[in-house]
Amino acid sequence: MGSDRGAGATAVSVLEQAAVEVVARRAGQTPVRAEQLAAAPVESLPLVSSRAADRLARMLAGEHSRLIGEWLELAVEHGVRVPARLIPQLLDLGARDRSVRAHLGVLTGARGRWLAELNPSWAYLHQESSGEGLLDHGVWEFGSSGDRRAFLQRLRAASPGDARELLAVGWDKESPAERAVFLGTFADGLSLDDEPFLEAALDDRRREVRRAAADLLTRLPGSRLGRRMAERAAGLLVRAGNTLTVELPERCDSAMERDGIRSELPAGRSGGRKSWWLQQLIAHTPLDFWPGHFGLSVGEITRLTIPDWGREVVMGWTRAAILQHDPGWARALFDLEPLTDLLAVLPPAEQSHRAAELVRAKSVNGQLIMMLGGIARPWSGPLAAAVLERVVEVAASQPWNAGELAKLAAERLNPALHDQLGHLPDDLHVLPTTLRFRFDLTKEFS
Amino acid sequence: MVRRVIERWSRDQVLALAPDASSQKAAAGVSAPAKWSRAGVARDALWGECKGSGAKPYRACVDLREPAYRCSCPSRKFPCKHALGLLLLWSADGVPAAEEPVDWVEEWLDQRRERAAKQTAKVAEKIAAIAADEAAGGSGGSGDDRRARQREERVDAGLADLERWLGDQIAHGIAGARQTAPTDWADLSKRLVDAQVPGVASVMTELSRVFRHEDWPARLLSEYALVHLLAVAHRRSPELPRDLRETVRSRVGFTTPKENVLAQPPVRDHWQVIGSRDEDRDRLLSRRVWLLGRATGRAALVLSFAPVGQPLDSSLVLGTTIDASLCFYPGSAPLRALVAERHSAAASSATPPHGVRAGKVPQLIADVLSRDPWTESWPIVLNDVVPAQADSAWHLADHDQKEENAVPLLPSTGTPWQLAAVSGGHPVTVATEWTPDGLRPLTTWDEQGRVVIL
Repeated sequence: MGSDRGAGATAVSVLEQAAVEVVARRAGQTPVRAEQLAAAPVESLPLVSSRAADRLARMLAGEHSRLIGEWLELAVEHGVRVPARLIPQLLDLGARDRSVRAHLGVLTGARGRWLAELNPSWAYLHQESSGEGLLDHGVWEFGSSGDRRAFLQRLRAASPGDARELLAVGWDKESPAERAVFLGTFADGLSLDDEPFLEAALDDRRREVRRAAADLLTRLPGSRLGRRMAERAAGLLVRAGNTLTVELPERCDSAMERDGIRSELPAGRSGGRKSWWLQQLIAHTPLDFWPGHFGLSVGEITRLTIPDWGREVVMGWTRAAILQHDPGWARALFDLEPLTDLLAVLPPAEQSHRAAELVRAKSVNGQLIMMLGGIARPWSGPLAAAVLERVVEVAASQPWNAGELAKLAAERLNPALHDQLGHLPDDLHVLPTTLRFRFDLTKEFS
Repeated sequence: MVRRVIERWSRDQVLALAPDASSQKAAAGVSAPAKWSRAGVARDALWGECKGSGAKPYRACVDLREPAYRCSCPSRKFPCKHALGLLLLWSADGVPAAEEPVDWVEEWLDQRRERAAKQTAKVAEKIAAIAADEAAGGSGGSGDDRRARQREERVDAGLADLERWLGDQIAHGIAGARQTAPTDWADLSKRLVDAQVPGVASVMTELSRVFRHEDWPARLLSEYALVHLLAVAHRRSPELPRDLRETVRSRVGFTTPKENVLAQPPVRDHWQVIGSRDEDRDRLLSRRVWLLGRATGRAALVLSFAPVGQPLDSSLVLGTTIDASLCFYPGSAPLRALVAERHSAAASSATPPHGVRAGKVPQLIADVLSRDPWTESWPIVLNDVVPAQADSAWHLADHDQKEENAVPLLPSTGTPWQLAAVSGGHPVTVATEWTPDGLRPLTTWDEQGRVVIL
């Protein structure tokens, strides 16, 4: 009994002392020394209007979140930055969705870069251009890779020769990945002056660099690479009357590989290697070679009967039309097969017109919707009219397809049309709602 | 006539009023202009008709002064998605101003005024009764009295049982607590509920949280010690000063009737709503809204509870300031309060609240704990602080003093990205909730003076 009471008394005493101790500790905390975050640099862009920022916050919270890209694009156009409170959410979005990263580089401003230093999952931001340092050579020497590319692009636009010479100075010291990226800037202002540099790049150690150089030379009228390709292709495609006979290349030699022909099949492609070589040869042959070679106009050429390997030949021409940005060929090939990528080569008015024809003529299905998916906003004119007509037409008979088409149209149509839709069935409410949202969104930037 | 225009609330301020996350989502869904017809705003009232699934549109209106809500929809959520959606529309400047509220809104406002007048009269009556009772020596009706005495006896017995149990735990040692304690706690908690000591019972049910930490033995001993201190304090409460006695009673679980609170001397001030936090515990929602008096510098907590799906108090909007009289629950470190009377409509505050420097936090907390050692939550507004790191733990540091000047943030809140973004390494004002493990950031104000929920 005695020892029990003793233990009880001790226990109480422990509890009492512990109570004193815990309260004393809580009450006795003293401030500590901690490393403060360094101050973020001053912003150069003006802040977006609070109305527009509120709308972005709504979209980030899930409302019409598919339209965030459009908002970001408009904001970049208007040269504004987003409020700091929205930056973490936007950078998280960019970590998941690459397509918005370039916009974020500009819109999140100095604060965004400063934040990205603190969080490894936001490090991608340093690969993007901030849109600053117009023609400041310091950027080229010390900037992030995104800023350097942007600098080179601006210099290229102002003076292609200077840009090429600047790049040539440090070319060997650039990393392979950056060499390929920088080569991309040559697309702007491409001329025969660039040919020696690009020819030399065909011998680069890195495949991406070699391919970028080959693609550029293909697009350069009168290039030696173009002539070499035409020579290789001339013997393989021979016309007899209305028929085109096709022979496959026997080998892919080192000279061909140097000119950008890939000898190995890309992953996922089935069939023989020779037909793959043929397609690439045609894709890299200057398109203006063929009319002289066959003695026919472009329209006549695409209507020739091709008994063997026709698919490969047309694919080659298609890729050439896209790569060489040739509207004449794109038009003729689009008549054979309406591919969105071909449409993109045509002038905007014609794009709208041609797509509208298809929408009227073809049945509304996944294929049509996919084709339309490749046409950039804003849809207006004949295309807008045709899509709206069709959507109403098939709403009752094919509700699912109509819904999908309406969803796409809601994101692409010119938002000014929001109050000119006329009466729509209830299941198509996505159209007026989304268009009105986009109309308001656009208005908040003006 | 000069029309006073109520400044519109931001989207975040509106969404903070929602009872839960799904309501926020639903509200956004009905906030499109196309959903609404005949919407208007006049004299602090906001109304509109929302297309629903039925033939008749739902009529929603909001009295922006409080705010108070009404909607003809059958939803049990409060405020419902229509009222919130209407507020969102208004927050995006989508509701046109009108001269006068429409009839059905006016009618509702009248009803509210009538009800409020009746309520005030009833409370005044009760307060008078309490005053008369106290003057007469403090003993009220006989039936109530017997029940009250019975409860006192049960509580005394329950806490005596607890004291013994705690003594046994310490005598046997707590090293094996991880294996045996949780069952003991559940049993004990049940006994404490039966003994009508709900305050202590809920402490026991949450004890298992200590096992999340490596230093759980120290934490468990602290918890036991504080509960023991409370039990002893209750046993010896006749010896305590009156305020401390009230604190002990409320910690034990005695509730103070509203009328008794409202009988306390009111504190009138411009109260700025500095933070709010909802919690879901065992299907019981609680909402804490913290206020800071501009002139008095006093902090206040307006606490409301509701079962899941039932309305929480949504009359205090984050970032706004109300000229109001508050009555504090009695105690030695009074914090919890009721809004007794509003003297004007809520107004948006353009400036962050005036708080304290980081270096003052320990002193402030020491003062609170010396009055109420069981305090585990206290609102503190810090001015001119910058996020800082020490041993990879986040702190808030005073911007102007470079030496020992930082207080730790609650580790479980993680990296305060939102706060870091808004601050950008520049000094900001941050409203926080002090807890024994560190500060929980609640709210900050950005360069435009806008409220940012953290």
